Amino acid sequence: MDVAGLSIKDIKRGLENKAFSDEELVGSYLDRIKEYDHKIKAFITVCGDEAISMAQSVDRKIAKGEKLGPMEGIPVGLKDNMCTKGVRTTCGSKMLSDFVPPYDSSVAKKLKEQGAITMGKLNMDEFAMGSSNENSAFFATRNPWDTERVPGGSSGGSAAAASAGFAAVTFGSDTGGSIRMPASFCGLVGVKPTYGAVSRYGLVAFGSSLDQIGPLGRSVEDAAYAFEAIQGFDPKDSTSLQSGYKTDYDGLMKQGIKGMRVGIPKEFFGEGVDREVRESVLASALILEKAGAHVEEFSLPITETGLSAYYIISSAEASSNLGRYDGVRYGYRTDSFKNYEELVLKSRTEGFGDEVKRRIMLGTYVLSSGYYDAYYKKAMLFRQKVKALYKSAFEKFDTIISPTVPVLPFKLGEKTSDPLQMYLADTFTVNVNIAGIPAISMPSGFSSTGLPIGVQFMGDHMSEDKLFRVAYALEKELKLDMMPNLEGVE
Amino acid sequence: MIVTKKEVAYIAGLANLMFDDVEIETMADEFSKILNHFDNISKEDLSGIEMYSFADEPLRLRPDKAVPFEEAGALYENTKSMQDTAIKIPKVVD
Repeated sequence: MDVAGLSIKDIKRGLENKAFSDEELVGSYLDRIKEYDHKIKAFITVCGDEAISMAQSVDRKIAKGEKLGPMEGIPVGLKDNMCTKGVRTTCGSKMLSDFVPPYDSSVAKKLKEQGAITMGKLNMDEFAMGSSNENSAFFATRNPWDTERVPGGSSGGSAAAASAGFAAVTFGSDTGGSIRMPASFCGLVGVKPTYGAVSRYGLVAFGSSLDQIGPLGRSVEDAAYAFEAIQGFDPKDSTSLQSGYKTDYDGLMKQGIKGMRVGIPKEFFGEGVDREVRESVLASALILEKAGAHVEEFSLPITETGLSAYYIISSAEASSNLGRYDGVRYGYRTDSFKNYEELVLKSRTEGFGDEVKRRIMLGTYVLSSGYYDAYYKKAMLFRQKVKALYKSAFEKFDTIISPTVPVLPFKLGEKTSDPLQMYLADTFTVNVNIAGIPAISMPSGFSSTGLPIGVQFMGDHMSEDKLFRVAYALEKELKLDMMPNLEGVE
Repeated sequence: MIVTKKEVAYIAGLANLMFDDVEIETMADEFSKILNHFDNISKEDLSGIEMYSFADEPLRLRPDKAVPFEEAGALYENTKSMQDTAIKIPKVVD
């Protein structure tokens, strides 16, 4: 059966009506992975046997007429930084290349309990550090729309897999845009939830005050449904929010956008933004205005300094979080060493890739005596300023619209020699993480060369419902076909 | 902002990482460029801002109750080597 374009609703309906069995469905997804993933390279690990066995169990439940979970039988994929019990979790790193977690992350557990079928673990930039997926220690994932181009990062495998139809929905993590950026590059809907709305328990830490897990889907409905499945309080995560969650996003998103207030921050459309990206996003704003929203330009002067603050804070947290990898307890250990110091030095130097080492060094630098006040302290103060500026903006607007990424998907190798150029691709996404607010990226159209362009909507804390509302309204008007053609792809 | 090779070598020591001379030189050059960009933070007016705000979410405490991990054996799966019931680690004290 052809599974490529199936929505979560299509699958649920098909299983309920017995149009197909879950085993047949999952088998077809596995066939598709087998046929095309050698070209896309989205998966680090494919859980074929486990997926079939879980699908058979779903079929038995259906045959017995048992109550089905919200995600029952839905094929999903997980970024390889979410711990999965008994399934290798590499974080895209040589450091964790043989790490098999003894427990499930809360998100993996929640999905399992709701009946989801995990198809496998997806490629990523090492320790979620990167914007192109080229920093994976294993291989570079390719963009299904043009395999000479990157899928974005760091959840590039998650984006490529959802786009290529290797799973109905996938999950990634977003520290500074790592869900939204690949969603934009691969023509998907990607959600970065409010900080604390989804448990981080069992997510390999990068920047703990910024990391958040979210879904990537081929429609707003799919992304909202998958977000609802994973949101909620978790006592195992000390930053988990205890209240404020909404349910029935499917109903909430269909209330229309008449009277909704949409802000256009002029600083997000200035120099450095590709002309086609700017025009596509502004055209989306115009569509929303025609559909009844109040659209107004305003000033949000945070883009340049926000990028600096983000890289200072995230690198500082990374340098601390990655201090645990010492070659002694678990993870990569060097073959030869004379003493303890050499064991640690060689294990870390051999186990980490270039970008991870660069971030650890940067983080150590900004936290070191003499530079702490000049960089880390100022970044933390600026963080409070960003939060206050967003708070004030959301008194006036329900949502803020911007490009997700200032540039079109770039070619593999195009930016690898200049880390600063790579960092600049994150300019419009990082401030959302600094402020802890939610944001969604969705397709706004295509470039003249046929590459997807993404539009980002940002909202106040716990206002995901408003983001789904505006995104759904735009999606309905745009009516884009977001299924890449994989035939003939080399 | 110019980052020297000496500073990079010093930071590498703090970070428990090793680099050869060529890598140190490349990193000094990259860091100079990146930190020059970061200098835009110095132009921001940050007066009157408190560094930490704890008002977002009240502090949550959990009951101080031990919960046994039921699959203790699984915890040893990632160790490099075992001897009887002990985890064997490299010699770390000279």
